Amino acid sequence: MSDKKKVIVLGSGPIRIGQGIEFDYCTVHCVWALREAGYEAIVQNNNPETVSTDFDTSDRLYFEPLTTEDVLNVLDREEPYHGVIVQFGGQTAINLARPLSDAGVPILGSSADSIDLAEDRERFEKLLRELGIPKPEGRAVTNAEDAVTVAREIGFPCLVRPSYVLGGRAMEIVSGEDELRSYMRYAVDVSPKAPILVDRYIVGKEVEVDCISDGVDCLLPGIMEHIERAGVHSGDSMAVYPPQSLSKVTKDKMVDYATRLARAMNVVGLMNIQFVCEGDEPYIIEVNPRSSRTVPYLSKITGVPMVKVATRCILGQSLKEQGYTPGLYPEQKNPAVKAPVFSFQKLSGVDNTLGPEMKSTGEILGQDSTYPRALYKALVACGFDMPLTGAILVTVADADKAEVLPLIEGFAALGFPIYATGGTAVFLQQSGMPNVQTARKISEGSPNLLDLIHGGTVGLLINTISKDKKIEREGAQIRRASVERGVPCLTSLDTARALLLALSSHPSTGEGFGVRTVDEYLAG
Amino acid sequence: MPKDLTIKKVMVIGSGPIVIGQAAEFDYAGTQACRALREEGVSVVLVNSNPATIMTDVEVADRVYIEPLTPAFLAKVIERERPDGLVPTLGGQTGLNLATELANRGVLDDYNVRLLGTPLSAIARAEDRERFRKLMREIGEPVPESFIIETDAALRDLSRQSGLPWPLIVRPAYTLGGSGGGIAHTVNELMEIGSRGMRLSPRHQVMIERCLVGWKEVEYEVMRDANDTCITICNMENLDPMGVHTGDSMVVAPSQTLSDKEYQMLRTSSIKIIRALGIEGGCNVQLALDPHSFAYNIIEVNPRLSRSSALASKATGYPIARVAAKIAIGLHLDEIENKVTGKTLACFEPALDYCVVKIPRWPFDKFVSADRRITTQMKATGEVMALDRSFESALMKAVRSCEIGTLSLLYKKASLWSDMEIERLLSVATDERLFAIAEAFRRGLMIEEVHQLSFFDPWFLVKIRNIVRMESRLREGAVIVLTDEGTELLREAKQFGFPDRVIADLTGKTEMAVRARRKSTGIVPVYKMVDTCAAEFESHTPYFYSCYDAETEA
Ligand SMILES: Nc1ncnc2c1ncn2[C@@H]1O[C@H](COP(=O)(O)OP(=O)(O)OP(=O)(O)O)[C@@H](O)[C@H]1O
Ligand SMILES: Nc1ncnc2c1ncn2[C@@H]1O[C@H](COP(=O)(O)OP(=O)(O)OP(=O)(O)O)[C@@H](O)[C@H]1O
Ligand SMILES: [Mg+2]
Ligand SMILES: [Mg+2]
Repeated sequence: MSDKKKVIVLGSGPIRIGQGIEFDYCTVHCVWALREAGYEAIVQNNNPETVSTDFDTSDRLYFEPLTTEDVLNVLDREEPYHGVIVQFGGQTAINLARPLSDAGVPILGSSADSIDLAEDRERFEKLLRELGIPKPEGRAVTNAEDAVTVAREIGFPCLVRPSYVLGGRAMEIVSGEDELRSYMRYAVDVSPKAPILVDRYIVGKEVEVDCISDGVDCLLPGIMEHIERAGVHSGDSMAVYPPQSLSKVTKDKMVDYATRLARAMNVVGLMNIQFVCEGDEPYIIEVNPRSSRTVPYLSKITGVPMVKVATRCILGQSLKEQGYTPGLYPEQKNPAVKAPVFSFQKLSGVDNTLGPEMKSTGEILGQDSTYPRALYKALVACGFDMPLTGAILVTVADADKAEVLPLIEGFAALGFPIYATGGTAVFLQQSGMPNVQTARKISEGSPNLLDLIHGGTVGLLINTISKDKKIEREGAQIRRASVERGVPCLTSLDTARALLLALSSHPSTGEGFGVRTVDEYLAG
Repeated sequence: MPKDLTIKKVMVIGSGPIVIGQAAEFDYAGTQACRALREEGVSVVLVNSNPATIMTDVEVADRVYIEPLTPAFLAKVIERERPDGLVPTLGGQTGLNLATELANRGVLDDYNVRLLGTPLSAIARAEDRERFRKLMREIGEPVPESFIIETDAALRDLSRQSGLPWPLIVRPAYTLGGSGGGIAHTVNELMEIGSRGMRLSPRHQVMIERCLVGWKEVEYEVMRDANDTCITICNMENLDPMGVHTGDSMVVAPSQTLSDKEYQMLRTSSIKIIRALGIEGGCNVQLALDPHSFAYNIIEVNPRLSRSSALASKATGYPIARVAAKIAIGLHLDEIENKVTGKTLACFEPALDYCVVKIPRWPFDKFVSADRRITTQMKATGEVMALDRSFESALMKAVRSCEIGTLSLLYKKASLWSDMEIERLLSVATDERLFAIAEAFRRGLMIEEVHQLSFFDPWFLVKIRNIVRMESRLREGAVIVLTDEGTELLREAKQFGFPDRVIADLTGKTEMAVRARRKSTGIVPVYKMVDTCAAEFESHTPYFYSCYDAETEA
């Protein structure tokens, strides 16, 4: 055996929603970086579908489960070794940091304590307060009365969720006391052991950054602006790099916050931060001291080999030694849009609305010389039959009617026939769109809007969620029909706006689009 | 034949975004294939819309395009790059469909791009249901009788036909998750399920086929080169009998319950099929085998790399994608070195001296409202694989790799199930069936009873019951397990794949105590090498699995 120092890299296990192929990408790049730096790289993983478990990716591969015991057994055999890297293998590997560390295993890069800090709400909030970094006001409560008190203090709308579930499950936005009380009564089990978190819901842009820290300095390869407003899970939002509507002040603040947080949390390696912006002010909603879903995408469009740089930081080489200037990396010229891809056609009983819970299984990238062109390509790549044909069927909640009007005017101006249901139709007709045709609801007998969808008339469905249970039951049926027919269904007006922007910039055909290699886009 | 020197630049199409049915396996296969092509001095143009892949790295291909996967955009890449050839079989169904479309539109001819590897005609023969059936009949390979029905009248006519091969499986076209189908045993049931299926199908279409209920589902991974040399890489047996998509089935490799005669019969048939189709590269043959006779049926053939070929590669250490890529540029199996061993050639069939278990990973933890039944359309997002010397321990490793909140066959919900519920969970496949089988044994059901309900082969059921029996042996041995008297029990539990944590829970000890005792008595895993040749030759694969017997291989 060689006398190189050995490093064990833990993979991310099976592909599942929320933990996809991106973590395999990160694992493989970490291994490559280790080998290039003269280390012996050892992989432990159990997923047969991946590159990380290919026979020549690492110096040694252990096809083994990823539990503490299984890892410790491998480590016993690999003694003496330099350490274990957990930050590239998603939550699977991250979850092993604490038990391995407790067993005396050196965790390379951010320590188990840094990881715990980000996940411990109280400690994390205290740190943010000390650093003067804002997060949405909020508190944990254990009964309905306290929830109402907190909500009154911070103001409606509020975001409520159980503190014990991850991944956005059972998260709701409540806009008044009645809704809040009903959530506390029916939606969740609440007890002193299972508190509910009540946070101010900030209606604003969601922004995400991935950064690399060497423990002192911090490099931000890029900032990604979400297209759907906060409230849609980051994994299910479309996102654009570079940001299209952030002020310099906001960006500077994000860089400052990220840099100070990374240092305070002793982050060495990668860190992902999600912000929601109110005006110029970014509020932190989540920090993960590990690689994230967006690392491959950001690496490719900025040209910063993020995992390699992070791995070198983990091995002790500073950012400056690697030739990087700390702070925000210069922005690239060609915009890139990431869009989620769903597998709803394969699953019955799953509602295809966007919300705080992640539902997508994959993603694609569209890149071009302007934002609308990149958007257009992204929409094509995620399955929209651009330029869309057929009619647009609109049925939106009362709260969304004013906002939807200019969008529908835009689509109508592009020549799309518009159908709308009862209230939405009346509203649009009275707002100066006499040509909007009324589609009957399911409860109004046939032919109704389901027939329009099944008959092939509809090319796009725009439907937002109503709080009214009866209306919502119909909404679910309509959305289901759209999935069955393969008709795109948008449940966020922000996605509809993006689609309109893409279509109005290139109304007739996809012709005129060029293709370029990843390198050529980087060259500008 | 040496490689075709006129091929200097080759285009590879990826499989696009991860969706259910097309996951990371094509990043693995595509990346390996790109490398194999470049090894031969071929320049690779790669197109994929999925940025989260290794294959779209500038390190993997010479020219990387992250552009939409549509014929129009691919035509632009072709126009710009002028590749000499295109390998259509590396990017899953997406890549295959796009390559076919580019050929049909004349784009490939316009720019003189040759399709490499398996010819389009072979792909069409395998993909088109009718042509495939016709070919199978010509070469004397049995296929299940089937009918496509689109009207109630046609359904009525069919139901009146005499000699229908009952029972019949009804599969509605294009419904979510294949929902709305079912098995009909009588004319009434056929009318009812058939017309409901049509109503639910957006195309008003159902496929009705002889239902091979209770038959075993078996797959063979086969390779062929232009010289007509064929080899089988491995076969795989589904634990779930016919009716559950192979992507949603638990799978074991190599097959465990086939007699040698059955194994050879299906192997011969698979090779006959790959020859008749004229595939140059790899393909996957799915077969159904009647457990009570030597009857079998061909279910389908995937004339390309697939999820199963990725699994077979990892299970055997044979790099299928790499070899398929080399075959595509003209090399023959006996001219390709197996890089894993560094000793054998690609024409050498792998041999396994261990057992491999795959378990799918479903999204029902996220989608709590989803229909958990698993049927003929795939629902899993991913999968895990485990290797070990025994089936029991490979299964146990696979279960704990799934990260579904349990480290063993002890499942939180199971004790709450009523006996009725267990019966239903045994006969209607869901992601929880494995745990229901274990619970059934805990409640004293017999192998035969569980077999009647689930159609799992008794061999698998005995193994699962062994695991359950070990649970109770551990409970009973709580007092002795960490003493000298219990050393054998502890060793056996480890050989059955029981984690320390589970042993500790069953015996009321701490995990630390179990681990410490184990190590002090020398009950530690040894690591075996996956060498593709069952240690017949000396080889140096850096690829290991653990087990609790014999000594470690360096
Ligand atoms: N205070 C807030 N105001 C507005 N939107 C918010 C707020 N907090 C969270 N969100 C939205 O909810 C989504 C999910 O929240 P969050 O990321 O905290 O959930 P999670 O349970 O940590 O999910 P995951 O771990 O899968 O990322 C965010 O992406 C964001 O869109
Ligand atoms: N005649 C049959 N009787 C019982 N089960 C069947 C029959 N035909 C197919 N199946 C089951 O349905 C599953 C899917 O069948 P098949 O592979 O033909 O479908 P498919 O739609 O081509 O799926 P994919 O292309 O995703 O593999 C098989 O794996 C098998 O378990
Ligand atoms: Mg989040
Ligand atoms: Mg098929």
